[in-house]
Amino acid sequence: MGSEFHDIDMQAARWIDRMNRPVQDTEVAAEFDRWILKDPRHIDAYARLSAIWQSDGLDSALRLAGAVPTASNDDDSQRWPRPAWRRLVGMGAASLCLLFALLVGPRLIMEQTAFATPRGATKLVTLSDGSKIRMNGATRIAVRITPWSRHVALERGEAFFDVAHERLRSFSVDTGGTSVSVLGTAFDVDRLDADTQVVQVYRGLVSVDAGLGRRWRLPAGSGLRVSGDSVRSLRDIKAQHPGWTEGWYEAEDTPVWQLVQSLNRTSARPIALAEPALGELLVSGRFQTNRPAAVLDAVAAIHDLRWKEDGDRYILSR
Amino acid sequence: MADAARPDEWDAVRTAVLRYVRGRSGRPDIADDIAQETVARLVELSAVQQISSIFALAFRISDNLIIDMHRRERRLSDEVDADWQSDEPSLDRVLDSRRAFDIFNRCLRRMPPLRREVLIRRRLNQESCRAIGEDLSLSAKAVEKHITRGMIDLRKALEQAGVDLVGQD
Repeated sequence: MGSEFHDIDMQAARWIDRMNRPVQDTEVAAEFDRWILKDPRHIDAYARLSAIWQSDGLDSALRLAGAVPTASNDDDSQRWPRPAWRRLVGMGAASLCLLFALLVGPRLIMEQTAFATPRGATKLVTLSDGSKIRMNGATRIAVRITPWSRHVALERGEAFFDVAHERLRSFSVDTGGTSVSVLGTAFDVDRLDADTQVVQVYRGLVSVDAGLGRRWRLPAGSGLRVSGDSVRSLRDIKAQHPGWTEGWYEAEDTPVWQLVQSLNRTSARPIALAEPALGELLVSGRFQTNRPAAVLDAVAAIHDLRWKEDGDRYILSR
Repeated sequence: MADAARPDEWDAVRTAVLRYVRGRSGRPDIADDIAQETVARLVELSAVQQISSIFALAFRISDNLIIDMHRRERRLSDEVDADWQSDEPSLDRVLDSRRAFDIFNRCLRRMPPLRREVLIRRRLNQESCRAIGEDLSLSAKAVEKHITRGMIDLRKALEQAGVDLVGQD
């Protein structure tokens, strides 16, 4: 035995790595199928190594190995945040990449559903995989679940995602400009406009791709505001879930237009700005979203503005 | 097997999938059900789209079904009784154990740091071989070699520690 089995294992290991790549050409795919059919022992070896490669035990051991400082370490940015490793161990997150790749045709069998909320109403959606999505008002999402992937398009508005952990099925949220992939589990995505998105992480770890090769890994307690070319990081998110799920809006040097937009998701009577420049004023504080008049009082007091009711809306002016 | 939807080929697929599921799950008792479900989904998929590698897709579907089942059972056993043990622990359960973790851990510590780094980047961070190669000044071939060797190292470590991988020759 010995060397022959060793050869088979080496081949199996190479195939596992290859079949986990996002892009595969049909040549390689066909070669893999031929290899599998050639000898039943190939299947055994592939099965065994798959089990090892995908196991939670290996996941945890690699996290530990990656978190403990090693001698040569000149690449800190790519490291996992060290103080957090204890939390990460056992969370067993990382999902293996893949799959669309295995499929040549663009049409997939899928479960596709769209959900929408009107202004002023939130909604809790539970997906078939157990993940929960809390939708803010005036929000629209499209969910696509296949046996190998979970994908949500946030078409407008804001939603808080509490993702059921799955090792092999990645979960991603696309906002048009920014895409968030989940390694860990609870986060909020706010699509303020076509250009501006805010991502805040409450539990676990997410990876954010803002296009143009800009990628970040955000651990729990941090966030990111991407607006066109500019990116601002957000810190000190201490709560378990975003304030809006309990009727609060947390502003920290937040532009007024952003606060107004958020209020307009929940308020039956929208707020309009008499002049766009008012939107650029900054506010900080905790505002109760179901009491727009009180929020307007506060904002007006901070910046010496005034507001009035005008038919079915509020108007904020100088 | 680019156009695998030919009925006479499904038997070969079915046999291979069953063998894979047995090896991958270590649970002969549930292998039939999972293999059957996998093939049913494959047939369904192949009717509406072209599949480049029927086995890569089949094994992936099986992986997901096995892991779902493993997770369900783990949840159930957590709820029912912490000491509850199945007569036939699944391979996932064996590989999630404290013991397997220790073995992996020791193996990773002993391997060359570069290989360990490559494995972390590939398996945990899901970086592409090309990206890893660029960062670590390695050729894509060398990266691939490290991954392959790393997997073999891990497999050997389990074997030497006497952890029973089902389907052992």
